[in-house]
Amino acid sequence: MSTLALPQVVEYGDSAIMVTVDSPDADLRQRRVVELRDAFTSHRPPGVTDVVSGLESFLVEYDPIRTGPDQLIHSINLISELPPTAGSRNSRVFDLPVCFDDDTAPDLPTVADELGLSAEETISQLVEGEFSIVLLAAAMAPMMSGLSLPAPVSRQRQPRTNVPEGSIMIAGRHAIIQPFPGPTGWRVVGRTPLTIVDIARAAPTAFAPGDILRFTRIDTTEFEGLRGGFLTGTTS
Amino acid sequence: MSTTQQLTITRVGWRAQLTDLGRHDTELRGVPAGGAADRLSATVANTLVGNTVDQVLIETIGPITVVSRDPWLAAVTGAPAMVTIGGSAAAQWSTLLVPAGQPLTIGSGTGALRTYLAVGGQIQAPRFLDSAAPDQRMGFDQSLTNRTTVTLAESHALARVEWPSPGLFRFDVPRLTSAADGCWTLRVVPAAEHGLVPAMHDLLQTHVYRVKPESDHVGVRLSGPVVHPEGPEIVSHGVPVGAVEIPHADDELILLGRYRTLTAGYPIIGVVARTDLNLIGQLVPGQTVRFTWIDRAEAVTLAAAQHAALATLARTVQAAFRACLMTAN
Repeated sequence: MSTLALPQVVEYGDSAIMVTVDSPDADLRQRRVVELRDAFTSHRPPGVTDVVSGLESFLVEYDPIRTGPDQLIHSINLISELPPTAGSRNSRVFDLPVCFDDDTAPDLPTVADELGLSAEETISQLVEGEFSIVLLAAAMAPMMSGLSLPAPVSRQRQPRTNVPEGSIMIAGRHAIIQPFPGPTGWRVVGRTPLTIVDIARAAPTAFAPGDILRFTRIDTTEFEGLRGGFLTGTTS
Repeated sequence: MSTTQQLTITRVGWRAQLTDLGRHDTELRGVPAGGAADRLSATVANTLVGNTVDQVLIETIGPITVVSRDPWLAAVTGAPAMVTIGGSAAAQWSTLLVPAGQPLTIGSGTGALRTYLAVGGQIQAPRFLDSAAPDQRMGFDQSLTNRTTVTLAESHALARVEWPSPGLFRFDVPRLTSAADGCWTLRVVPAAEHGLVPAMHDLLQTHVYRVKPESDHVGVRLSGPVVHPEGPEIVSHGVPVGAVEIPHADDELILLGRYRTLTAGYPIIGVVARTDLNLIGQLVPGQTVRFTWIDRAEAVTLAAAQHAALATLARTVQAAFRACLMTAN
């Protein structure tokens, strides 16, 4: 890991610290923080109870009777000097069927307008993109980078209160999939008929951070035919 | 001899659910630890019936009545509430023997929100990511309703021996500190954005905040004076349980609960001390709270003391139960 992006640590109360990396370049910060987070979780110091991913940071939760910020900072500095461990886990590729009709993609027309594209051009760019899972957000929702649209997408002015499960949502430079029905301030631009999180399974998701998702366009009839299936991927 | 037994929930006043101390190491995957909102009360309840602290137990808001055809060991902790066994008053924060066929009833909590009922033995419950704690957001519901039957896989042997007196055991039990005037004091440790809003330091310590009705297991909303920091929006990042957040509203603070959304972009000026997180789970709408700043070292000392007291209780209970069983045999 480059010495240009040194880890920074701040305290959040008696049982957590947050780790960021110092760089003026947001892309670099995001990339480095993922490397550092992965290195940290595979060389996990004693006393760490859990880790929460942020886009440009990760929060380390710890048992203060077993460890403390000084020990953790020392470990993080050592870990940050290790060579990147990328490739230790094969990333998998998922082809996700997505329907982009009026019902499943209610915000597509306004997003296209905002970008100065037609709806068809917007769909093409989404389908041509390769999305990389950065982290699993609330309820195991895959948060993805790789949104290749001409400009960042603004959030919904009035959040939607009940978006169906499987909805493909975008905001800024990121995309996310809604695993369960719920509210969102993101723009809804498609929907997959597949179940992406199944709490009845021992492994509730087939995907993990680092995996790649690609969207495959399907029509309304195909959507109905695929409904209820579980998303599985192929090792690249 | 089979040790399996059935417990029947004959009345649920408002809400009761199975839970435990929550999930381990699932937050990296987007699932909050969750579990009992008041871990101290849940831990003590399980300890008092001879269980390990991570056993499944019942968390209730409002009254509940439970009955079994076989005798069972019980402990009721959490919010102060009227407890009866077969109509006679029974103590909270104590090991209880419930005779066969006699209903154990817990009334409404007063001055705090949640009561806990632990049962000696292993309650059978569905699990998600190795925990019986519900997760509403993910559709994992552990609600108990009238006439739900709960199976005890392994009831405690002590429930099947003759007790010389019903109030046999008296333990020195760490419990929630009640507030004489109904206003609880939460100790808070400064967090990263504390320095961005210096005015909040004194404001928080000198004003009383009131719990709003919109509060739940995700977060407790408090009304009271706040000052907003200047500067750019904060990039959404991981937030710990107990974080004291300043949202965009003019007169509101949020204390994050065990089912918090894991990331947030609001400034966090402090985090409630580990020992006082239990109180967040016990705050009742309309109730008032005060805050006192303490430093991290002080918070860790408090946590270590509580940890030691709970370990002592566990050792004492185990020793007393062993002695009692030996005498009975």
